[in-house]
Order: sequence, then structure tokens, then C-alpha cells
Amino acid sequence: MSAIYVKLGCVESPSPLWAHRRLSLLADFLTSLAHHCIIHRLFYHDLQSPQLPQWQALHLALQTRSVQVKLVLLGEAAVGKSSIVLRFVSKEFQPNKEPTIGAAFLTQKCLLEDRVLRYEIWDTAGQERFHSLAPMYYRNAQAAVVVYDVTKAASLEKAKTWVKELQRQANPNIVIALAGNKIDLVQSSPSGSGSSSAAESEDEADDATATPGEAATSGAEAENLRQVPREEAQAYAQEAGLLFFETSAKTGEGVTEVFTEIAKNIPIESILASSRGAAGRPGTAGIRPGTQESVNLGENQPKSRDACNC
Amino acid sequence: MSDLEGNFDVIILGTGLVESIAAAALSKAGFKVAHLDNNSYYGGDEANLTLDELARWADNRSTPLEKYEKISSYLVAQRTKFTSITRSSAVPDHARHYSISLAPSLIPSVGPFISSLIASGVSRYGGYRLLERVGIYSSSKGLQNVPGSKGDIFKSTLSLIEKRRLMRFFKFATGKFESSNELQGHEQTPFPEFLQSKFSLPQEIVDAIVYALAFCASTADVTLHALTRLRNYFQSAGRYGASPFLVGHYGGLGEIAQGFCRVSAVNGGVYILDKKTEDITPPSTSADKFVAHLADFPSPLTAGVLIAADDQLPESLQPLLTKAQNTDESLMARCIAIIDQPILFPPVLSSEGLSGDGVNFAPVSSGEEDAGGQSSASTRLASALAEAPLVDTSIIIFPPCSVEGGSSIKVAQAFTTGAGTFSAPEGKYVVYVSIPIKDGEDPEALMEPYLNTVFSLASVSEPLFKVAYVQHISFPSSSTPTIDLPPIFVTPALPPHVAEISDYANSAAESLFNRVVDHLKAKIPQAWTRERSGEEGGGDGDVFAEIMVPMWPPLGDEEEAGEDE
Repeated sequence: MSAIYVKLGCVESPSPLWAHRRLSLLADFLTSLAHHCIIHRLFYHDLQSPQLPQWQALHLALQTRSVQVKLVLLGEAAVGKSSIVLRFVSKEFQPNKEPTIGAAFLTQKCLLEDRVLRYEIWDTAGQERFHSLAPMYYRNAQAAVVVYDVTKAASLEKAKTWVKELQRQANPNIVIALAGNKIDLVQSSPSGSGSSSAAESEDEADDATATPGEAATSGAEAENLRQVPREEAQAYAQEAGLLFFETSAKTGEGVTEVFTEIAKNIPIESILASSRGAAGRPGTAGIRPGTQESVNLGENQPKSRDACNC
Repeated sequence: MSDLEGNFDVIILGTGLVESIAAAALSKAGFKVAHLDNNSYYGGDEANLTLDELARWADNRSTPLEKYEKISSYLVAQRTKFTSITRSSAVPDHARHYSISLAPSLIPSVGPFISSLIASGVSRYGGYRLLERVGIYSSSKGLQNVPGSKGDIFKSTLSLIEKRRLMRFFKFATGKFESSNELQGHEQTPFPEFLQSKFSLPQEIVDAIVYALAFCASTADVTLHALTRLRNYFQSAGRYGASPFLVGHYGGLGEIAQGFCRVSAVNGGVYILDKKTEDITPPSTSADKFVAHLADFPSPLTAGVLIAADDQLPESLQPLLTKAQNTDESLMARCIAIIDQPILFPPVLSSEGLSGDGVNFAPVSSGEEDAGGQSSASTRLASALAEAPLVDTSIIIFPPCSVEGGSSIKVAQAFTTGAGTFSAPEGKYVVYVSIPIKDGEDPEALMEPYLNTVFSLASVSEPLFKVAYVQHISFPSSSTPTIDLPPIFVTPALPPHVAEISDYANSAAESLFNRVVDHLKAKIPQAWTRERSGEEGGGDGDVFAEIMVPMWPPLGDEEEAGEDE
């Protein structure tokens, strides 16, 4: 249960153990391919590893059919945005998680029938705290998950302003999902170990706006914590044309569904068509054949700089 | 922890490109950064704005002063930086689908800026596109494509002797010309004169080299500087494609500044925009830190070091700065026009194609090219023009004396971006026209012949929208560094040169980063030991002062997040 977000700047060379993991991961992936599972985790880098050229070939084969989807997270501070992603990407939950630091974005592949959908999941990096989220954040986003906390009515109001902002600023075809998080706090615990919700309530409590730590809850008391009725949020979502879920990053309830439903609703064909269209546009005639319109800066190293005068 | 909430190592005022690069580097080095901006948008003088934001930007800087009850010191400074502002009254539809740059730029594919983009991880946040065309205009020949590579020269219609002279020049310009006989004593000679006297090149080719390849701004630009630029551009060609230059999506530098700010935020930087800085008190005998009070903000922020764009510094701190005695001011007349027709370039002929690789001397095969590649030199007809591929991203150079009524010494440039860089809706184009001017010259009269030429090249009579202004850029004329005591680091103005601004910003940010790190090492050893104590096991500041901090530490593999370590 160590830190999941790999902090920028620390490099670790892959150990043989890592290589081993890669292989087992891939074996897993191939199995899931065979079984036509809808979602399976797969790390982009594993396939790109230079140590595994045979997988690179497979990767290329997959890549031709894969669709990249930029997904942005939005919502008030401390509603559990990062925790939802963490649950989705690594099936984990960290109580007492620090406010988000350290992840540029996470990637996660999703298998959808015959297509591979590669989510590039962007976290706010705390820039929403003082309303200073840059427009760059929503650019080209094909999906957004707007999160609120079912135990905080104000967080739904904030979510609504984010939805408006997205509808005003972002790609008009964006698929938006509204997710009411922390439902474990408002459910009576069947096992009687209601104290588990105490851990959740401390989650991100280091932020001034976070839910104050509640004591162990059970039964009716738990329902009392709920400040946003499911019906109310659902009605709003329907009216605004959003997908709607209630989730618990802590238990995992509803989390995978958010991403699966988004995957089903993404206009994949039009994304593919637009990227094909762009590549074949007349404007590209000046660029050498085979070059894509958008340049990937990381791809080519500079030519030898022998002319450098030093 | 909560009592440290407002305590930072560095407070940065302004989110211009230099400040943003510095913020990212300082956060990555482990310093606590608070990054503030008076504006509601990122990017400062390099911002990218929507059309309605641009209209507001223009109005705020041109509305008569008496209409303001109270005016911020930021706006006062901005109103001396941007003058003679005029704009079309009506803002066209879909204003939010435009992303207009206040600092249009071409990014060389090899250079310090692109290296920073990659090393910091910012390159993964946004998209880039190759500059498609460079055109050069002359009143006699109209608009012509400028060959993009050595290969194109071979294919061109020049005479054999001209080709040989040109190849001799290219060999010289890509080599170690600093120690060459040709250059000795001519470092400060105007570049056009140097080319004519040393390489006997015809005027037309000299113009193309000086203005369209080396991007000189006037007939007087000196040889050494121009040659250095040119060599860099030659090295840039071929890295990502035929063109040496990239154009950033959504308006370029402003978007990139946001990317650097995101890197800072991801590494713990705190962002507060659109809050007026009411006051900042400098360190004194009673307090050893800057204390910043923001309007509508619960608690003050403190930091040992202040970095500021000159116009974002509160008035109370201005007298503390050791002002450079003499400043050189350069003026640039600028116009941003929205048009609904593309600029029509002549088709790329196989004899002068831009499509070839630098090493590919073979004729471009028609199978790989569409209409433009197939046409031959003899069929440069109106019908061919009509079928010519639409050019989305281009720059046209107007050398001195190229336009009737235009300048005889200065160079005008018209840089165009369209939907290909997501800076305008489909079918619309943003044209940035610029020309250096002198104080006292009428910017509108100077600009007019160039604008009219651009509009006629796009077959439009009137732009949909137009903003014109004069930008004042002041540089300290002496190169002696100013002493920053108390520790206020003021970021320098960026040169208005379309292809130099990004690398210059990077160098300025790097120097700023090094000075701030040195200062923090020397003055606040605890900030330093706190950062390094985990790795080094503690110690005194002097020992740690020896450790070099890289501007961009190696990138972690963020994308592998999710695995247990």
C-alpha cells in the first residue's frame, strides 16, 4: 500500500522483478482478450518496454485500433476525486490521503468489444482550490467525471458550476458523468463493523473543507449523514444530460461502472473519423508524407550537434 | 502542518512564460511555491485569450483614465506597455472558439526551450504542429514559397553557379563559422552586406536568407547574431519534419505557460489567480520574510523570496528595486486580424517542394502527394491556385521595400494560424502582422499597406475582427546584473522576435532559477536541508550549498502509477 502516485523526478530502474510483472500482466491481458472481458488493466509502458520487442509488435497491432480518450476530473476539494481514480486504476483505497500531489496523469486501458480505449486520466493537481484551473486542463477532453460528496450538499452545487463550465468551455461532444462519492458513509454496514467509515471520513480531512471526522455510524444514523438525496442528484443529471452514479472509492462500489459507462457513451467512431480526417486533410500537403499533423515532441532526439562550437 | 499553510519558500507574481517555467523548476526542486496573478487568466503578456477576452484586454488598456474610479498599479504599467490600441467594435460569433496569442511564436525544433518542454513533461500536455509554409513577398513577384531544405535548393530553378555559391554558404553557415576567415572582422557587419560581399549571392536569394530563413528584423541586423540563429534553424530542420519550426496548439506560449504551471501544481505549487495583491511587506528587523496580503483571502502568505513580473509588483515595493539606469526601448506595431479565407500560397512545385526530406534529392513521387505535388512549374495558373492545398499555419515575410508604401528598412511579418492549431474555428484564420517601429511613427499608417496585402492574398476585403496596438519592450542597456536586495527577482521583458522568444524565455527562467536556488541555499539553509535531509542525512548549509540542483530532474514514470513500489 505504498504511494501510488509516482512522484516526478525519482527514477527507478526496472528490476528483474518488474520485468517479470510485466510478463504476468501481459499474460493476464491476453487471457482477458480471449475472454472478451470488457475492462482490463494494462499499462501502456509495459508494452512499450524496449526489453520486450515481441510485445511491441502486439502493442502496435492494438494501437491501430485503440482510441485515446482524455478524461478530466472535476469537483470541490476533498470530495474524493483522486481516490476514485486510484480505486479504478489500482483497485486500492488510501485512507488519510494527502491532497493531490505528484501525478501528471494516469493511463488505464479499457477493452470495449473489439476496441481498446486508452484513458488518459487528468487530476486537478489542486488547482481547483482557489478557482485557478487552467483552460488547458479541459482542452480536447472527451470525458469528464464531476464528483461531489453525498454528505455535503454544497459539493453538489459546486459540481453543477463545473458542469456549466464544461458545457461552456469544453469540447461540445464531451461525455460527462456525475458521481456522488462516499456512499459507504451513508450505508448501514451489514457486518456491523461500521467503524470502517471513520477511516473514510478522515480521508482528505487535512483540507479545511473536508468532511469532519464522523464517529462510527450505523443504520439510521448513517442515512442521516446523507445531505444529497439520490433522486435529487439523479433528476439534475437527467436534466443536464449527464451519466449518473453513486460511488464509494473506499469499497469500490460503482467505480468501475463510471468508466465503463463512459466508454460505452464515447462517440468512438467520430473520434476515429476526426483523427483520420485530420491526417488526410489537404493542409498537410506541406508536411512530409506519413507525418501526422500533431507532432509528438518526445519522439525524435535531436540530430547530432557536431556543429556545436565547444 | 496547518500552521505552515501560508508559508512558502517563494512567492511568484505573474504567470507569464518566464515565471511559469521558473515555478515549475522550483517546485520540482522541492521548494514550496505560491504562484499568484492579478489576472483571471494565465500567461501574462504571453497569454492566449478568447476573442471576447481579447476585446476586454484591449478595452482595459485603452479606456480613457477618467472613466476609472481607481486603477491598479498593474493596469497602469500595462497601459504604458501597450499603447495606441484600437479594435473593431463588434466581436464575431463563437468568440470562445478562438485562442489568440499575445506573443505569437515559432518554436525551433532544437534548442533550450524544446529541451525544457520535453524534460519537464510539459510536452505531453499539449499539441504542436509543424509550420507548413514560409512565404516571401515582393511587389514584382507576389507571394513565393521559401525552400525549406538543402534538397529543395538542388531542385530549384537557380543557375548552376548560384547553386554552388548557395551550397558554399550553407556549408559555411552550418559549420564552425566563428573561427572562419570569412567572418573575421565582419561579426558586426549588416548581414545582407556580408552575404553579398563574401558569397556574391544575388539580391533575391540574399533577401530570402536574411529575412525568411534567419528572420532578421531589418537591413541593419548584424552578421554574427543572424548566422547563429540560422545555424540553429538548420539543425532544427528534420527533427520533426521538414520545417525547423513548431507552432503550439491553442495559441502556443500561453498554453505552454499553463502547462508549466500544471507541472508546478502537480509538484505542490499553490495557484491563486484573479486576486488582487493588496500589499506585500518586505523582510524587516521584526520579520524575516515577505508577507503578502491578498484581497478576499483568509490568511497572509509568507515567503523568503519574491519573484515578480515587473508590472505585477505592488507599488510599495517598487522603490526597493535598484532600477537599471538606462533602458533601451523597442517598439513593435502589432495587428491581430480574423479572416474567413485562407491565404493563397502558390502550390508547392516539385521543383521547390517543401515536402522533401533534407536528404531526399529524388523528385517527390506523385503517389505520396496530392494536387500540389503534381503540378509543374509551367502550370502556375489560376486554376492551379484554386486547387492548391489550403495552408493552415504559415508565415509571410515582407522584406524592406517589398510593399508599396511600406518600410524601406524594416521587415514586416504575417503569421497565420487556423483550425489546424485549434486557435480558430474551422474556416477562420488568425493573422498576426507585426513590424518594428520608431517612437513618433504612426503605427496605423505603417501597418496599412501590409494589412491590405495580406487581405488581398486571402481575397478578403475586410477582416471579421481586428485589434491593433503598439507593444513597448524595454531592456536594461547595461549588462551589469542588478543587485537584488531584498530578495526580489524581477523577470525580464521578452524580445518580440517570433522565433527567438521561446528560447529567450527559457534562458531567462533558467538564470532566474539558478539565482533563486543560490539565494535560498545561502540565506535559508533550513529550506535547503529540509529538502535534502531525507537523502543526505542532514548537515549544515555550507555542505549542501555545494550540491548542484538540475533545472529538470529526470522524469518519473508517472504512467506506471498504480503499481506497488
